[in-house]
Amino acid sequence: MAEPIRVLIVDDEERFRDTLAKLLTRHGFTVRTAGGGTEALALLGQAPCDVIVLDVKMPGLTGQDALPLLRAACPEAEVLVLTGHASVDIASAMIAGGAADYLLKPCPTDELEGAIRAVYDRRQATRPR
Amino acid sequence: MKPETRPDVHAPPLWPHTLLAPVLAGAAVLLALIAPPVIGFILALFAGAVCIGSALILARRVRQGEQEVHELDLRLLQSQKLAAIGELSSGIAHEINNPLAIITQELDLVREIAGEGPDCSAADRAESRDSLREIGKQVDRCRQITHKLLNFARKMEPVLQEEALDQVIEDMALLVEREALGRGVSIVRDYAPGLPPICTDVPLLRQVILNLLTNAMHATPEGGAITLGTRRDNDKLLIEVRDTGCGITPANMPKIFDPFFTTKEPGKGTGLGLSLSHGIVARLGGTLTATSTPGKGATFTVSLPL
Repeated sequence: MAEPIRVLIVDDEERFRDTLAKLLTRHGFTVRTAGGGTEALALLGQAPCDVIVLDVKMPGLTGQDALPLLRAACPEAEVLVLTGHASVDIASAMIAGGAADYLLKPCPTDELEGAIRAVYDRRQATRPR
Repeated sequence: MKPETRPDVHAPPLWPHTLLAPVLAGAAVLLALIAPPVIGFILALFAGAVCIGSALILARRVRQGEQEVHELDLRLLQSQKLAAIGELSSGIAHEINNPLAIITQELDLVREIAGEGPDCSAADRAESRDSLREIGKQVDRCRQITHKLLNFARKMEPVLQEEALDQVIEDMALLVEREALGRGVSIVRDYAPGLPPICTDVPLLRQVILNLLTNAMHATPEGGAITLGTRRDNDKLLIEVRDTGCGITPANMPKIFDPFFTTKEPGKGTGLGLSLSHGIVARLGGTLTATSTPGKGATFTVSLPL
């Protein structure tokens, strides 16, 4: 059996990240959650992950500021931006900064799951063996 | 401004009217003085025609210029309005998308548990009930945002009435005091004696005072105090709401009256209270300002004309 995909959800809405974590866990993912960029960096320091689901507008370290730091802390992880902030500028800046995909809240769980699996599979296919 | 949109780029040059015409007219007048009467008369007519022609052309150009400036002003105003609408829409989208995202996830969880049929565990049933409760909470969060936005859109003319300022403020202080005392925050009255009655829209002013008091209460830690003060400053009446809370950082100060700006936790504040209050005070003909020493509290001052 394949290893479960390790996901880190970074979002300041506690209820959102907890319920999403429950759903993804039920669907076979290994999930950790962080309330902001700083907490996410600390968690990545403890153990790496495969996909980071990152919010943009957060108090303290915003998603945009956190993106390069998270990528440096865990270069093998793909970053999937999930935000309620609909701005083409921010989306293109995040993609240019190395994010693999950009999804807009509210996003049905199956769509988000599909996106997580897609970026994970893409990474598996392109990573050096 | 881009060169092609500048009004004078393709217009004919002005120098024939500002330079050539006066020189020609002057020369004609001088020649008329020394020329025989008939030729002098013709030259004088020529000088007059040149002056009147140029004056008419210059007047038309000035009017045209004024019209173009007016049109540019209107376009600028329109683009500023569109920018403001864009900013507001983006703010609304973000504030509504977050609770919608929570609702979506909770619904997915409830659907999944319901899909397991009647055999689902007691823990799952409790989970479903909790999800439904959360959906209700998030709907309420959206409702608060849309209702406050409706207040923004309401363009009712203020209904003016005379009222003692202390009374308006005291009504709101009593309303908030019970909750404040529960949080260990005291309310100190510092009303200046003998103030003249104020002529204003009392319900609107009450809303402002209530917003400021609620904000102050949320910002003040246990053991702190909120001071409510009134005083007269020439032809203005001032209301001060001073708290001993965390204050406002210099970085946040320019943003505090922006719609949707909040330092409260997600879901705890809509970020519309101060912006709404600012709009109301402006409609009442006054100003709402803030000063703060970070860490030592903030003071909000409503200044209203007498």
